[in-house]
Amino acid sequence: MSALLRAELLKLRTTRTFVALVATSLGLSLLVVVLNALLTDSFSEREARELFSSDFSSLFILVLGIMGLAGEWRHRTITGTILAAPDRLRLLIAKVLAYAAAGALLSLIVTLSIMAVGSLLLSVGDKTTLGVADLADVLWRNLLIAALLGALGVCIGGLLRNQVVAIVGVLVVGFAVEPIVYGLDPDVGKYAPIGYAPNGILGFIPFTDDKPLDEVTAILVMLAWIGVFFALTAQTLRSRDLV
Amino acid sequence: MAPVEIQNLTKCFGSVEAVKDLSFDIEPGRVTGFLGPNGAGKSTTLRALLGLVRPTAGAATFDGQHYEQLDRPNTHVGAVLEDAAFHPGRSGRNHLRVLAVTGDHPQSRVEEVLGIVGLTDAADRPAKGYSMGMRQRLAIASALLGDPHVLILDEPTNGLDPPGIAWMRDLVRGQAREGRAVLISSHLLAEVAQSVDDVVIIARGRLRARGTLEQVLGGDEGTSTEVRAAEIDRLAKSLQAQGHRVERDGEALLVLGVAPEQVGEVAAAERVALRYLAPRARSLEAAFLQLTADEEAPASEVPA
Repeated sequence: MSALLRAELLKLRTTRTFVALVATSLGLSLLVVVLNALLTDSFSEREARELFSSDFSSLFILVLGIMGLAGEWRHRTITGTILAAPDRLRLLIAKVLAYAAAGALLSLIVTLSIMAVGSLLLSVGDKTTLGVADLADVLWRNLLIAALLGALGVCIGGLLRNQVVAIVGVLVVGFAVEPIVYGLDPDVGKYAPIGYAPNGILGFIPFTDDKPLDEVTAILVMLAWIGVFFALTAQTLRSRDLV
Repeated sequence: MAPVEIQNLTKCFGSVEAVKDLSFDIEPGRVTGFLGPNGAGKSTTLRALLGLVRPTAGAATFDGQHYEQLDRPNTHVGAVLEDAAFHPGRSGRNHLRVLAVTGDHPQSRVEEVLGIVGLTDAADRPAKGYSMGMRQRLAIASALLGDPHVLILDEPTNGLDPPGIAWMRDLVRGQAREGRAVLISSHLLAEVAQSVDDVVIIARGRLRARGTLEQVLGGDEGTSTEVRAAEIDRLAKSLQAQGHRVERDGEALLVLGVAPEQVGEVAAAERVALRYLAPRARSLEAAFLQLTADEEAPASEVPA
């Protein structure tokens, strides 16, 4: 397993995709933080937490996870990958762990960057900011969300196989279907895997005063979603003929 | 126990029977050509062997073990499949580094196989910039990475230019000389005839023939003699009178299943002056076409 995990991490390091996603995610996150810090007159503690949670890495790691497995079909490399690692279940586990780690790393880079820049701007502007303990609290939540969404992305990519369909699908679900479901019934919508259950881990739902799932429940819900998609993907991956 | 053994292999895709009750094995130190028309079931057989498709019935094993059961499989088997593909943004060297990590091989082995296939200078270029020949070489390097004792090559000369084909032929022969069992699937019969020791021919998923190349070509019976003479008609009658089958081929006669010495003796006895006398071997193409012409016919096996 360790060799498979190292191989998956090496795959990530040997294409430009990961670096490009880090750069894009970092750029977008910094843009939002800088504009918010400069243009907002004052911050409550809750608003400061929201500011430092403006981490776009979750979305990007979800996409990267999808590409991690669906891309094997897109580039027709799945045959070579399975020839090298014929135990398909172990291969899937290695990918899930690798993209969870990549998600945490991506979020670490982005979150630390926005915290450094945001804290500096808020301090210079004499606005409310967060102490080290609160920043650490935001940091682990961001990292955990990115790791969980990286794992979820791999499973979704393996299930759908078509990379474009999978990416467009999760964007539609995340930006349209989940908000509609939440609007219709918040008690159901808060269990949604792409936006609302992760908000439970954050501890708030941005731009609303609604109460999300508590963090332990949110983590369990996310693990359940990952478990369901993992089981479906493992079943199809193991039974599928590669012709 | 044979390094590669296929026993009563059957694979159905829905109602389509791609491979039916196929059995053969291959031996170490020999190159076996795996031949058949398009859609004969060659690729399905190889993919079943490599655990990529699941057999409906029967088994395909390496030293008695299924591919999935092999510990560090690429130390046992190296495979180049027809659709060998690489991530377009990853360099050849990095592609091999990933495989080396997966198979727990030292990184020095990456440089060794790059040298074997002559890709060292291009190793840091992204694979999307590789020519077809370079991609085939990279696929071969991937197969050799674990120094396996079995090589499976599906249409390895596809897209190669003549120097590339010659290189592939030398490589394959060299691998067999070092004791490896090599199984080559190909539709380039003239090329295969120059490379293989043994032949397995299938059509419609069924075995048509197997044996050494010489056996499949018909041995002495597969060899004919081409003869030209001043009195060609008289020589033809004399040969027919002695029970030989004779065909007219332009200005020449083709005496089927007879060695040149016998034809020469008949000509000398009849005092016919010869202008040309030479053996003409039955080609693999002719044997292949004959063996696969009637695809509904029951499988016939050339005794090994």
